[in-house]
Amino acid sequence: MNLIDCLKNNAERNPTKIGFIDEERSLTFKEMYDEVQEFSKSVSKVLGTTKVVSLLSENSTSFVIAYLGIINSGRAVHLTPTNISESSLANQVRSTGSGMILCSEMTKKLGIFHIGSFVPVGPTSISGLVESAKDIELKVQTPTDVAYLIYTSGTTGEPKGVPVSHDMVEFTTKNIIDVLGYSETDIDVIPLPLYHSFGLGCLHTSIFAGSTVVLLKNADNLENILESVKKYNATSLAAVPATLTKLLRLDRKILDDCLQGLRLIITNSTSIPKNTVKEIKGILKGGNLATYYGLTEASRSTFMIFNEDSSLHESVGKPAPGVNIKIDDEHKGDSEFGEILVKGKNVIKKYWNDEKADKSIEDEWLRTGDVGYLDDDGYLFLKGRNDEVINVGGEKIIPHDIEQVVRQIPGVEDSAAFGIPHEVFGQTIKLVVKKSENSDLDKLVILTHCMKNLEKFKIPSKIEFVDSIPKNEYGKVKRSMLK
Amino acid sequence: MVKEIFFEVFPTLAENNFGWEKEQKDYDNWDSFAQLNLITFAEAKFGIEFSLEESIEIKSARELVERINSHLK
Repeated sequence: MNLIDCLKNNAERNPTKIGFIDEERSLTFKEMYDEVQEFSKSVSKVLGTTKVVSLLSENSTSFVIAYLGIINSGRAVHLTPTNISESSLANQVRSTGSGMILCSEMTKKLGIFHIGSFVPVGPTSISGLVESAKDIELKVQTPTDVAYLIYTSGTTGEPKGVPVSHDMVEFTTKNIIDVLGYSETDIDVIPLPLYHSFGLGCLHTSIFAGSTVVLLKNADNLENILESVKKYNATSLAAVPATLTKLLRLDRKILDDCLQGLRLIITNSTSIPKNTVKEIKGILKGGNLATYYGLTEASRSTFMIFNEDSSLHESVGKPAPGVNIKIDDEHKGDSEFGEILVKGKNVIKKYWNDEKADKSIEDEWLRTGDVGYLDDDGYLFLKGRNDEVINVGGEKIIPHDIEQVVRQIPGVEDSAAFGIPHEVFGQTIKLVVKKSENSDLDKLVILTHCMKNLEKFKIPSKIEFVDSIPKNEYGKVKRSMLK
Repeated sequence: MVKEIFFEVFPTLAENNFGWEKEQKDYDNWDSFAQLNLITFAEAKFGIEFSLEESIEIKSARELVERINSHLK
């Protein structure tokens, strides 16, 4: 069963049931299935034999139509963040060989599409693709075909393309449904971007379970999240730990009123404060708070449903059914921690045209770059990411990306970026700069240059001028000494 | 000077779309990262530091000015 089979089943069994709701409209399963069919034929007519289509859109029912429509046309969807920079978009589109950039009206306004003429068709707004193409035959997808492709900074350096096949989607989604008990009676509120693995997995779950999904554009408007949960009598909510922590600052009576009917809040593996777990559990009463550990390359590798045992509140749970996890003992040295390795049908076989990145997969074991340990009962505890990578609100950033931009500024002799703790984002970026001799460079010049040349989540939140930057004998920055 | 910060953080913002009372929800791209950028620019420009609570509460250009003034007094 792939996503399209499930949608078709839903449309046949419950044609008039509302399956998809966004902030402007709602669609029944039958309406969604028909829209997807039409969209697929239009894509096929416009694109011919092209195998990949890029999709750049905020959450909406149109996103879902385009996403499923591209898949149903026998192609893979290249998903990109809506806040991607022009140069990153250009690099990704070149790498995928995408034949078209489909965008929403909002992302079209961003003006990041001056990326040359190598894309045969793009940018095209989703609503603008209305070619009538009734006689087009759609190609049937096989389980090993790529359903979607996401670029991730991962933990080892350059962005890598992660191709996820239909059988991986099926395996992962069935695990989510079995472990977390989703069913067609659920109403799932998703304020997470669908271009990320977390949000996309939630959408897949709703389609496989035949439940109703409520798509919100983002998680910034906390009141909107609460109102949506209440308005639609939602049974599940997906949110990153930072959103849950921010929600807890609101009036407790309002939280009780809106959230206590939920049977499940699902969050993800960025460390979740113990207090947040305790307070959310207090609000949910009969419902569950759950988390998971996973990467785009190995989605939902563990699950954790928080119970009364507070000693486990910092764990990300046990391996998902059919998934194996081990800790690399060989390289952990004197530490009790080691790199986490994952094996299972949720793990990619290889990266997208990237032999260097493929070296992190050995005998089907994926080296995650994350560090942690397993306790005697098999619960996994994360101790952090590779120390070079900065995780700002779920966006993984390689320090080199920032440093190379800052070093272009006249008056900068050297620089180093690293993560510092932040209560809301988990981490933000601190930049230390060594000025050239006699330079009168100030912080605003650096910020302005960064703003023009980096995505907004890569802008340093703190800048400090220093006399020297500590480095080892190979010239590598000793970031641990800067923190 | 605060207006300049807005045009730095929202480079596609047109002159006639700026408003002192215009709120976060009225901007297409004022998300949590843009909020962080606004705070960072204001701190660097005025040599001040906001608390986390202040950072979260600012929802318009007018409120940013008021917060800055309270630090400069």
